[in-house]
Amino acid sequence: MLRYILKRLLIMIATLWIIITVTFVLMISIPGSPFNSEGSSNATVQANLEKHYHLDEPYYIQYLLYLKSIVTLELGPSIKQPDQTVNDLLGRGFPISFELGILTIAVAVISGITLGIFAALRHNGVIDYVAMGLAVLGISVPNFILATLLIQKVAVDWDLLPVATWSSPAHMILPILALATGPMAIIARLTRSTMLEVLTQDYIKMARAKGLSPWKIIIKHALRNALMPIVTIMGTLLAGILTGTFVIEKIFAIPGMGKYFVESINQRDYPVIMGTTVFYSAFLIFMLFLVDIAYGILDPRIKVHKRGGE
Amino acid sequence: MKKFLVFLLMAFAVLVLAACTANENAGEDPEEEEPATDEGTETEEGPDADDEAGEKVLHINNTIEPTSLNPSIGFDAVSWDPLNNLMEGLTRLDQDSKAAAGAAEDWDISEDGLTYTFHLREDANWSNGDPVVAEDFVYAWKLMLDPATIPPSPAAFLAYFIEGAESFNNGEGTADDVAITAVDEKTLEVVLAAPTGFFLDLLTNPAFFPINHKVAEENPTWHAEAESFVANGPFKLESWEHNSEMVFAKNPEYWDANTVKLDKVHFAMVNDNNTQYQMFQSGELDTATIPAELSDQLIDGDNVYIGNTGGLEFYRFNVNEEPFQNKKIRQAFALAANRQDIAEFVVKNGVEPAFAFVSPGFTTPSGEDFRDVNGELVPYDPEQAKQLLEEGMAEEGYEKLPSIVLSYNTTDTNKAIAETLQNMFSENLGVDVTLENQEWNVFSEAQKNLELQFSRSSFLNDYNDPVNFLESFITDSYMNRTGWSNAAYDELIEKGKTEKDEEKRWEHLYEAEKLLAEEMIIMPIRYYNTVVLEADNISGILRHPVGYFDLKYADKQ
Repeated sequence: MLRYILKRLLIMIATLWIIITVTFVLMISIPGSPFNSEGSSNATVQANLEKHYHLDEPYYIQYLLYLKSIVTLELGPSIKQPDQTVNDLLGRGFPISFELGILTIAVAVISGITLGIFAALRHNGVIDYVAMGLAVLGISVPNFILATLLIQKVAVDWDLLPVATWSSPAHMILPILALATGPMAIIARLTRSTMLEVLTQDYIKMARAKGLSPWKIIIKHALRNALMPIVTIMGTLLAGILTGTFVIEKIFAIPGMGKYFVESINQRDYPVIMGTTVFYSAFLIFMLFLVDIAYGILDPRIKVHKRGGE
Repeated sequence: MKKFLVFLLMAFAVLVLAACTANENAGEDPEEEEPATDEGTETEEGPDADDEAGEKVLHINNTIEPTSLNPSIGFDAVSWDPLNNLMEGLTRLDQDSKAAAGAAEDWDISEDGLTYTFHLREDANWSNGDPVVAEDFVYAWKLMLDPATIPPSPAAFLAYFIEGAESFNNGEGTADDVAITAVDEKTLEVVLAAPTGFFLDLLTNPAFFPINHKVAEENPTWHAEAESFVANGPFKLESWEHNSEMVFAKNPEYWDANTVKLDKVHFAMVNDNNTQYQMFQSGELDTATIPAELSDQLIDGDNVYIGNTGGLEFYRFNVNEEPFQNKKIRQAFALAANRQDIAEFVVKNGVEPAFAFVSPGFTTPSGEDFRDVNGELVPYDPEQAKQLLEEGMAEEGYEKLPSIVLSYNTTDTNKAIAETLQNMFSENLGVDVTLENQEWNVFSEAQKNLELQFSRSSFLNDYNDPVNFLESFITDSYMNRTGWSNAAYDELIEKGKTEKDEEKRWEHLYEAEKLLAEEMIIMPIRYYNTVVLEADNISGILRHPVGYFDLKYADKQ
């Protein structure tokens, strides 16, 4: 197991290095500069700024500077918000995005699996149709439409909850609802289809024949196998949602880190582009690693560490 | 099976723990717990509810986190709007948008118009109790001009009017060459490179705000957090939760504190146009902007403030690219654009069409408006446009006009304007132009490098004088971006900046604008304006045509 983990760690570092290099090449190949603002400027001022941020140096020196900043985990100040380092920005934004994300995932997983199970058990019944109808709606309505709709109805028209910002539990309800609906729908559909498949398996019939109670069969025998595909999508879903979502955070004015992914590129804020890329990649790779470990626990037939030992 | 249950349980525990710790962190943030109570009263009571204990708290939106509250570093409205209320320069714009006494009580100007001696108020103090001294201005201005400041100031060029400033900023001179001197604690002497009629106006710009040099020498990042921030303006920074909100409180040390009516100002950071309007509707904000889709519906309401903003939206002709090397062809395109229709039906929101270059709102020495004096210079005249095009084509020997690409940076409004222009050129001139849009940064780089033929642009004034905009088009100016160079124009601008007699100086500016229209190197589209929704119980917010909003006189009933 240890050897397997070590091997995976080495691969992770190599992957990260490739990502950093590719990002750097992409970053310098798009035209533009962080100092192109719509306001007035002057050649001397521009030159002073470029010099300060080493943008007048050859690319290989800039590349080495970035590598150094990443290895030492000191990404330096953001160009667009010079009073704050990239570490500050991510350090403040990530916990908020993580909080929103983890609550969203919890809501999506619990309601999604529940809906899926009931739909499968009442296959082609009313509950099935209602649940799957909801799921189709959840997948096809984009979350930003849902968000605007929720704000207009719940917050403005009915005055039940605050419109936006992230300052109390009441402020969290609408963004979580808007964000959780999509993943919930996906999970519900996946659970339903795999449950349907699992329920026809021989070992379920066997369990029934032994006289086990229906709920015991569902929870212990059917659901455990039905969860595999959900665990598969969980890695990317977690990484995506936990590191913040641009649109929902913008609509609800949530100070998470989602905006940096988009805005840093628009503004050519190079240290922030690097910071978000490295952070997201490392997070995603780690999540995928956790998923592989989880497979082994859920399905004893998959023995990750054996492969590593061969 | 047990293993699985244990895994599930653990996973759940991790989820719950993570959620809880995150919650605690949010609560623990040093700044404050206030938002929860604020929000409580507001959502229940709506906009009329005064905040706790009868305090007057104004809720406004700053859109995003300020770039920096270090005066000369944050060179944008999101930094300088709040900063204008935390600090005060030597002069401050008054209720008529004129430069009036600020931290300086009065000043003497030498005969030759070069030396300004400012006398600071005896009762001007910083929020920590220190007196505001001349050295605070010397320190702040040299910091703005020093190319080695971390990071260098993007606004430094605004101070080039001061003797020695430009050479210090471009590395040729030293800090000692800059002609600003603290004569004594409360007297500041500034020598200019040339007479500058609008220097007192320029000083209202936040780039010229002082910095408490004692605090800054001890803690160079004093401006990054509320705890260390020292203010000398009507308000002080009470708390600042980055990317989330700022709370200002009335500054009792301010010399004119009796005038300030608000107890607190709460700045939200909401960057979504619909959301901020919905927050206004539900009473979470006291002012808001109008979302584009609702413009027709809301613009005529009683609670809408509409004011001038010094600035112009325009298109640049690239005089190095065919067919725009020809003056008559440039004129033809400009005269063929029906800007009245563009303003009224495309941009909407109460904007004024531009039939010249300098926007309304600049007062001449005799008290008139620059725009009224110089009149319409670029009318809409499709007949003449057609004729000019024919003449221009004949001059160049064109059978057929070379193909024309009209470029803009991608936004909904820019697209609508470009499509309208395309239509007008086709109808009025019989010319088919191709449209091309690019992401802002790519576009801006190409425009700077003169790679675009006919491209959108905009200008917002940094200081309250027409020369600010007109100067853009002198030879080799960083803002020129047309390839145009004209010795007569350069000379007019030089005189328009340095002439001592104000009447004569403005004459030069009228001439310069007329020359710009004659040469037509840019095509004006429309002037900017400020449109704000204000709740009924709000009054006294000053919004200047050029400058940043002022809450000193604001009140909430």
